[in-house]
Amino acid sequence: MGKARAASCSSSSTESSTQIRRNLSTDLRLGLSISASQQDDPFSLPSYLCIFNVSVGDDDQASDWPPTKPLIMRRALEEEENEGSSATFFVKVYMEGIPIGRKLDLLAHDGYHDLIRTLDYMFSTNIIWSEMDGSVSAYSETCHVLTYEDKEGDWMMVGDVPWEMFLSTVRRLKITRAM
Amino acid sequence: MNYFPDEVIEHVFDFVTSQKDRNAVSLVCKSWYKIERLSRQSVFIGNCYAISPERVIGRFPGLKSLTLKGKPHFADFNLLPYDWGGWVYPWVEALAKSRVGLEELRLKRMVVSDDCLELLSRSFVNFKSLVLVSCEGFTTDGLAAIAANCRYLRELDLQEIEVDDNRGQWISCFPDSCTSLVSLNFSCLKGEINLTALERLVARSPNLKSLRLNRAVPLDTLQKLLMRAPQLVDLGIGSFVYDPSSEAYIKLKATLVKCKSIRSLSGFLEVVPCCLSAIHPVCQNLTSLNLSYAPGIHGNELIKLIRFCRKLERLWILDSIGDRGLGVVAFTCKELQELRVFPSGVDNAAVTEEGLVAISAGCPKLHSLLYFCQQMTNAALITVAKNNSNFTRFRLCILDREKPDPVTMQPLDEGFGAIVQSCKRLRRLSLSGLLTDQVFLYIGMYAEQLEMLSIAFAGNSDKGMLYVLNGCKKLRKLEIRDSPFGNTALLTDVGKYETMRSLWMSSCEVTLGGCQTLAKKMPRLNVEIINEDDQMEFSLDDRQKVGKMYLYRTLVGPRKDAPDFVWTL
Repeated sequence: MGKARAASCSSSSTESSTQIRRNLSTDLRLGLSISASQQDDPFSLPSYLCIFNVSVGDDDQASDWPPTKPLIMRRALEEEENEGSSATFFVKVYMEGIPIGRKLDLLAHDGYHDLIRTLDYMFSTNIIWSEMDGSVSAYSETCHVLTYEDKEGDWMMVGDVPWEMFLSTVRRLKITRAM
Repeated sequence: MNYFPDEVIEHVFDFVTSQKDRNAVSLVCKSWYKIERLSRQSVFIGNCYAISPERVIGRFPGLKSLTLKGKPHFADFNLLPYDWGGWVYPWVEALAKSRVGLEELRLKRMVVSDDCLELLSRSFVNFKSLVLVSCEGFTTDGLAAIAANCRYLRELDLQEIEVDDNRGQWISCFPDSCTSLVSLNFSCLKGEINLTALERLVARSPNLKSLRLNRAVPLDTLQKLLMRAPQLVDLGIGSFVYDPSSEAYIKLKATLVKCKSIRSLSGFLEVVPCCLSAIHPVCQNLTSLNLSYAPGIHGNELIKLIRFCRKLERLWILDSIGDRGLGVVAFTCKELQELRVFPSGVDNAAVTEEGLVAISAGCPKLHSLLYFCQQMTNAALITVAKNNSNFTRFRLCILDREKPDPVTMQPLDEGFGAIVQSCKRLRRLSLSGLLTDQVFLYIGMYAEQLEMLSIAFAGNSDKGMLYVLNGCKKLRKLEIRDSPFGNTALLTDVGKYETMRSLWMSSCEVTLGGCQTLAKKMPRLNVEIINEDDQMEFSLDDRQKVGKMYLYRTLVGPRKDAPDFVWTL
């Protein structure tokens, strides 16, 4: 059969994302940005295909399960293909004390909570921003504050303005040690 | 035996609109039959091969609106070969030759050619409305003919269509004199569209109430169209990709606030994932929301949107909304009547029994459900049945085939049994998960109003199918795939099939011999065997299992347009 074709297989995406994202588990000390995307491994099926019982690379074979209208299924598959080419907005992210920065696609996140989750994971820390979860203690040792540089060159705390407005004004992000 | 002159009876019949009622009326006596048939304007043919166009025209010369359905339902899931049938050309040709003043044609799962559309556009002066659902076989050239020639066109509605987009110019073919458009839906077309022509068309259509755009229509055009048509009631957004700081987006936000008539929203075929706050002002008046073609909208954004939609009656959504999102729906949408949750294909974003239970508890008016989910439990179904006995349509699809109740590892017989027992008005049911003959016993016993049943990978023996055929007196359509029902079930009550529109059985245990016996006993059924591999051609062995069988009642015998791979026995 060639390609893996199972009714259910484990997702290769990280637990922080609900969509298939590039894998962000990079070794920060080495400053490497190796992202293990689906494209690198032709034999691992993106998990959505496992449900749809479609074999990769075989365009002629239409699936007959699940029994949903073809256009809806095709849209779901197209969306996955297009995700790479849809609008992106990468900004630099620096952590205080570490000379090598990271880059992050803000448009791949749907709001502040999503962004903080990604940053927490990327930098292995707890991020403080203007809308705090009660669960994160402000006195924890591994806490950092998230700030951004806006169009006017000022450094502001992330989270005060609506997400859209933030997107239109942010230039880059910085994670500094909590005072 | 009439106490009134014919004109009075005819006037009374004007108030009898449903086809079912009119059919009943026509059976009372010869005189009523004649009056009814001469005055019937709207005819529904559920299976285009059950009758011939000539006979329909002969009986209903006053026909103005015709609805035709072609392929069986399982054709939607690629279970029917491409050119099985369902060509509408003979119908249009016959209508054109007659003196019927056709005004409306609604087709579902039929094959429509460009020639056919051309003929249609030229043959009927008062043609007003063309609705094509899940049809194929034409290109935008055919649409151009409709646009150019139908001077009083009110409605052009394309749903679930995949056609070749030759040029985006068909929209320019509407003449300047065409100002009658009420409804235009081309959301499923994939190609470019002449935006200027579209803008001008909308500008000269003061009666336009429904507009559904395809993904080639960008945001700034959308804004211009909304400015021209603030009276829109139903909007399908094509592309919703924007730069948040752009003037186009700011203008659109302002325009949307002014669109106070919009009650139905769909589309978002291309969407920037981050923000739909521009839509929020429209949400509070929405009664219908269809986001099933928008996998680009993340779950969180969906939830934010739903919170504004208190008046929603119909919601079609992807399972990326999650159980949590369905909880929000249950809390917010108290007027909800119809819910469809489609699979988005994202593995960990599916919904489970939790979401369904929440909905059944929170939405008392819900009666129509299509639910694709990761798993389901008997306990949940029993709770749903207790919470809500109003279901008329209950279609459940567990994505993992033959999956049992994950908590008890039992089949889902008891759960579905509770549903059919509680929902006395249930007309349509689709089953899934691990199921034994027991569920069919319940269905036969309790589902008295059931008209359509879909079965896949279910049952243990012929008894299952027999319970259904014996018990469900109002059954019209039965479709079965990959279930162990064989000749005994098929042949026990052959008369039953004349009371039904059709039966589909694929990958079951029926043999060629069984089908032949049936065909011999019931000459007014067409028993079609669909062969996809060549093997069956050379081996006429009665014991050979039949891959796909489709049988339907008909008044006109075997169809003459069947392709080589279809045998009518």
